[in-house]
Amino acid sequence: MKVSDIRVAVLRMEGINCEQETYDAFERLGARPEFVHIKQLEKRWPDSGGYRDLEEYDILMLPGGFSAGDYIRAGAIFASRIKSSVGKDLVRFIEEGKPVGGFCNGFQIMVELGVLPGYSSTMSDRPEAVLHANDSGNFECRPALLKMVNRGSCVWTSRIEKDEVRLIPVAHAEGNLILDDPDRAYARLFDSDMVVFRYCDTEGDFEAPYPYNPNGSRFNIAGICNDTGNVFGMMPHPERVFDRIAHPDWYRKRISRDEGDGRAVFESVLDHVVKRF
Amino acid sequence: MFTIEVKVGLKKGVVDPEGSNTLKSLNLLGFEEVGSVKTLKVFRIEMEAPSKEDALKRADEMCQRLLMNPVIHTYLIDVI
Amino acid sequence: MVIADLTSDIGLDVPVRRIMLSRCTDEELERMSRQMGIGLSLDEMKRVRDHFSSEGRDPMDVELEALGQAWSEHCCYKSSKYYMRKHFFGMGAPYVISSNEDAGVVEFDDEHAYVVGLESHNHPSAIGPYGGAATGVGGIIRDIFCMGAQPVATVDPLFFGPLDLPQDSVPEGVRHPRSIFHGVVAGIRDYGNRIGIPTVAGMIQFHEGYTGNPLVNVGAIGIARKEHIIHSRVGGPGEIYILAGGRTGRDGIHGVTFASADLSSSSEDKDRGSVQLGDPITKEPLIHACLEANEKGLLRGMKDLGGGGLSCVSGEMALAGGCGAVIDMDRIPIKEDGMAPWEIWVSESQERMMVSVLPEKVQDVLGIFEKWDVLARVVGRIEEGRRIKALWKGVPVLDLDLDFFTAGPEYCRIVEARVVSREMKEASFPDPDRPSLEKALLSLMSDPNICSREAVFRTYDHEVRARTVIKPAVGRPFSPGPSDASVIKPLSGSNKGLALASDVDPFFCEIDPYNGTMASLEESFRNLVCVGARPHSITDCLNFGNPERPDRMGDFARSCEAIGEMVRYFKVPVVSGNVSLYNETETGNVPPTPTFFTVGIVPDVNLCMTSDLKEESNLLYLIGMTKKEMGGSAYFRQLKEECSCVPSVDLEMSKGAMEAMLELIGSHLVVSAHDLSEGGMAAAIAEMCIGGGLGAEVSISRIGRFAGLEEMRRDTILFSESCSRYMVEVRLPNAGKVEDCLSRHHVPYVKMGTVGGRRLRILDEDEILIDVGIDILDEKWRNGLRYVLEGSQ
Repeated sequence: MKVSDIRVAVLRMEGINCEQETYDAFERLGARPEFVHIKQLEKRWPDSGGYRDLEEYDILMLPGGFSAGDYIRAGAIFASRIKSSVGKDLVRFIEEGKPVGGFCNGFQIMVELGVLPGYSSTMSDRPEAVLHANDSGNFECRPALLKMVNRGSCVWTSRIEKDEVRLIPVAHAEGNLILDDPDRAYARLFDSDMVVFRYCDTEGDFEAPYPYNPNGSRFNIAGICNDTGNVFGMMPHPERVFDRIAHPDWYRKRISRDEGDGRAVFESVLDHVVKRF
Repeated sequence: MFTIEVKVGLKKGVVDPEGSNTLKSLNLLGFEEVGSVKTLKVFRIEMEAPSKEDALKRADEMCQRLLMNPVIHTYLIDVI
Repeated sequence: MVIADLTSDIGLDVPVRRIMLSRCTDEELERMSRQMGIGLSLDEMKRVRDHFSSEGRDPMDVELEALGQAWSEHCCYKSSKYYMRKHFFGMGAPYVISSNEDAGVVEFDDEHAYVVGLESHNHPSAIGPYGGAATGVGGIIRDIFCMGAQPVATVDPLFFGPLDLPQDSVPEGVRHPRSIFHGVVAGIRDYGNRIGIPTVAGMIQFHEGYTGNPLVNVGAIGIARKEHIIHSRVGGPGEIYILAGGRTGRDGIHGVTFASADLSSSSEDKDRGSVQLGDPITKEPLIHACLEANEKGLLRGMKDLGGGGLSCVSGEMALAGGCGAVIDMDRIPIKEDGMAPWEIWVSESQERMMVSVLPEKVQDVLGIFEKWDVLARVVGRIEEGRRIKALWKGVPVLDLDLDFFTAGPEYCRIVEARVVSREMKEASFPDPDRPSLEKALLSLMSDPNICSREAVFRTYDHEVRARTVIKPAVGRPFSPGPSDASVIKPLSGSNKGLALASDVDPFFCEIDPYNGTMASLEESFRNLVCVGARPHSITDCLNFGNPERPDRMGDFARSCEAIGEMVRYFKVPVVSGNVSLYNETETGNVPPTPTFFTVGIVPDVNLCMTSDLKEESNLLYLIGMTKKEMGGSAYFRQLKEECSCVPSVDLEMSKGAMEAMLELIGSHLVVSAHDLSEGGMAAAIAEMCIGGGLGAEVSISRIGRFAGLEEMRRDTILFSESCSRYMVEVRLPNAGKVEDCLSRHHVPYVKMGTVGGRRLRILDEDEILIDVGIDILDEKWRNGLRYVLEGSQ
């Protein structure tokens, strides 16, 4: 498949607010993104010409924001709407190996949906994890250093070397990943190569406290994938550092490469689709 | 018509940053006698149901499907 | 009886009364105004009575309420208009597209315009800090997108009483500044973050004068293709009014009349009903829907319902298009049953927009709102004639002459300008030695008015939309220093940037409103210049006390005069603004606070400059003239020294320095730049060190010691806050070019020293005045707010 044929559904509902930059990232790499409102999938759109089905797309993106105001719990309302209307389609989409990604609120939605970590099934009945309030009790908008630790399963990070550190900002109030049954769950996550990004300090050390770990997440986990590597969520925002100029310190190293640290995430997943489909 | 109250709280051992920050602020405001603050979320739901038992059962489903996340939450349902 | 209940007479199911003004004595007129809470003076009530007498009738309650609202200070600027017109209205620039609507519209490039506005939400935030601040953000964002622009950033200048004010110094019935601070910041956070518009800049000032009356100013900027700019006026008769967004409720009734009176200690309870609640999750799709309908060319006019509600919007939009209108009030979606027509008419509920649409486009427009799940309903139509009418199920309950309705009173209030001495005074104690100077610097770094605002801006999403090129913090990502201004790159296809700064120094303005206002506006220009932007437009929010008091009005008039001076000299126009008067409580008024939100244009964001030091052995230059102007300075405040000589702006010098700076930055001759403001030169260098994680060694021996001038004290040199000064970092090989450029612009400068090491060392000849590790400076500055919030050092 050619990049220009790759159709990306950028899913939105009220309160999602990072859809434009997510869309732009795919468009600038030559893919064909499209904003899809959840009502179009639910077939509740005022004109039937706007009805859409998940199977029309090659990648599903859940952008950041505050879907439905993040009332009840971050991402919970959007997740319940997806699950009740297109849950089965989504399972099929994932099982066909098509990539599903979520950043920030998107990650929260995926965890509430049960597609991440998703080790018992493609989409669990009940959430198996939660993104809980940050330890600081605050919304945290700040840069974060992420070390890529995936050993190769994740299709969203193939363009990033293992152990490479990237600077990608966070902006959330609930990013503390807590897994059910922690005694077994973390071991399983690491063993099955489902951990993708971990927060670290300027030395690359994982013992990094706040603010390097902005939310208190155990083992400094910032992003995970399912065991087949196509479903991926992370709290930081790669779409915000698509360009070098969006980095907090770009003017301090004026001669470094022109692309931002987040761009490789989008390039990786497009690479994967080009090769696989 | 039944009025149901669903109280969602955090399980023991789950950190409660809002609670601990509130505790700190109260202490700073001079309420030194306060030793612990925990946050609860309460949903008051008005609903039709054939009986109290049915109402409770439906409310329980609501909790399972939306109102709480079993990884960190406990909940209590009351008919009032 | 002066009130007649008409409800049963005309067969309505809602209460409507006729107010028999023609039978009222003067005393009764005054009482009526008070009881109804409409805030009109006796003279104004008489004018209303005479107008209705000339129509041969008495007003309905809906009509009287509408007039009270339209003629409030907040809606018609009756006290302030005269002075603003006299001094700076209409001083345009060729690139200003519109400066007389809810927000200013200014050319950005050949195809695009930016839309900018700044408003106060002071009184609501005093009573309900969280809701008041949140709805303030909501209101200003509506002002931007109702012009057809996509909002791209918000800016929030905030003013509170001291956070560590002892509880027993807080007046009865007033919330502690700390509680107001937390509420306001949380309100901006929760609303701004949810709506997905980055909060990129702002300011926070603490001053005792704000204890009973905090100021919450909210600004926003948006971008639009020029052809998508839509105005707040209908196209012509036959068009249909559609009201979209939130329902109308009892929240926010009498909001503007409340904003136009002093706060009293009982306000907190009595007035709670007039603080509105915000709903960002209704607003977010409302923006999408309105912009989509506009971009498809389906709308003729659009205006947001802010202060003044349905009443002002339906009348003003119609009149601006030379028409009248009829509203079917029973079709307005309401939040609760039993609302009286007058309540619906003047409610200031949030998240509502009015659009005017040709009849054949109505279905298309309603379809777009439905798509986004936004409630929208046809509520009226545009007619010939200049009257606004409202019907309840076909029965007229309001029928007003629009020219009378919108032509609010205008006053030329009595002013009493204060006389301010310009005597230059230095400190009264002997010139301090190293320990005292170091102590003074450290305590300035942690001063709540100088220290880092990270504890606040990290809770605001300042990066959503991924276009914030210069953020509120600059330098090392994990230990940044302060940014002079933020820069947004609003378009994907262009590298042109918008620099945003907000400034006012209430300490200067409190002592000397004229010079203080000029210094404040100049500081905001300096902030823009420091990131490499040329000042392009000014938006102001003039927060003052009770205009009926000649001294307060005198401050206001002097401040307007100062703005006029600056605008004329720099040819940077005021494109939009807001006036907030009656900022008083029983314990006093706020210091005169003319807040400026200035916008600068950056030709290419890749050339943006920041304040953090970049590399060892670069040179540091001080640009501009240091003077013995210690009035209102942070140094004198801390030491309780008196001086009324605040920094003044030498227009020619200011312009020269600005042009020289822009040339230096534009031609890569400097690698960092910072303006000198609160805390003076010492604090500015310290901040540059913090951001860069580098030390510096500088000497003051060549400053302020020109032949023929009386020698200046060392503490004056270090901490004076004189205007038009900058600190720049220069690579050695460029020193000559930099000096040439400054000389060419006739700007005084001093080569002060070099960058390097991990300490800030300031010397006078061979004597060490200050020698402090940057880690200590960093810790004091970074944790200043925490120290005062947690009461620890």
